[in-house]
Amino acid sequence: MKRLFLLMFFLNILFAVNAQKYITKNGYIGFYSHTSMEDIKGDNNQVVGALDISTGELVFQALIKSFHFDRALMEEHFNENYMESDKIPKSVFKGKITNLSAVDFSKSGTYDITVEGDLTIHDVTNKISTKGTIEVVSGGINANSKFKIVPEDYKVTIPGVVRDKVDKTVEVTVTMKYTPMTTK
Amino acid sequence: MKLYIKISLFVVLVVAVSGFLYALMLYNQKHTDTAKAKPDFVITSTVLQKEFEDNEKAASSKYINKILEVTGNILSVTPVDSAKTNISLNTGNNVSSVICTFPVLDHSKIKIGEEITLRGECSGFTQLFPGEPPLDVLINNCSKVPKR
Repeated sequence: MKRLFLLMFFLNILFAVNAQKYITKNGYIGFYSHTSMEDIKGDNNQVVGALDISTGELVFQALIKSFHFDRALMEEHFNENYMESDKIPKSVFKGKITNLSAVDFSKSGTYDITVEGDLTIHDVTNKISTKGTIEVVSGGINANSKFKIVPEDYKVTIPGVVRDKVDKTVEVTVTMKYTPMTTK
Repeated sequence: MKLYIKISLFVVLVVAVSGFLYALMLYNQKHTDTAKAKPDFVITSTVLQKEFEDNEKAASSKYINKILEVTGNILSVTPVDSAKTNISLNTGNNVSSVICTFPVLDHSKIKIGEEITLRGECSGFTQLFPGEPPLDVLINNCSKVPKR
């Protein structure tokens, strides 16, 4: 009986901790760059992400090979020439909401947030800071952000022939629809 | 005009035109049609996820970039944009799954809990917390395989 209580006690802690964590496996990260020839757009709908609402910690992981382009050739070049996805399969973001007190997770609504953290692309890590929103909805939390990065900061080298045609910055869009993490 | 000049001009022209056509063909190349492609591996979602969990290096070099025909029970159906749908397949271990993105999908015959067979390209796996579950295997460019 004592053991049972102990077990229940620990299970309770487990659930209490997990209630603070929200996850998604169907998150979206896309990027867009305008060029004089044509626009470059890649979409990834298989991003995993977690948000801890007690600490404001955020983490995303995106597989490079899961970025999809309309043109098969563009997808091939992206993987083989620019991102070297066989060697470096993932991109990761680890960061924190810096104004967590501005968000009331118990009340539906949209809240402006600032996120700071480390973005790792192509094995190069840079500090980034961006604005975004947290949307508290019934049954979950949505997070949205849009920011710009410079591929050269991540040692993604664009060959001379196309360099002038590719915009120096790339716009990144993040859309996450989190649900509470459950342990079955 | 001398004959050899004519011939060389003709050769140059042929090379230029075929080069241009080849470049155009490459540029307009379509994605692999997984509905028609022959699978490299036929596997269940449970076995596939377990192989990645047991030895991610071996499974990565075996499956990534290959066309897989995967059978599993549908855990969830998530429309991700106006056309695309993600289907998660059960792997029997509660937290991990095989996540499959369909560019287009007819939802009328898709039911949670039912078995589905699909064909797609394996992109690898994601694991948010290294060494800890969940570890999800990702399949892209999926098409549904009709029941035989």
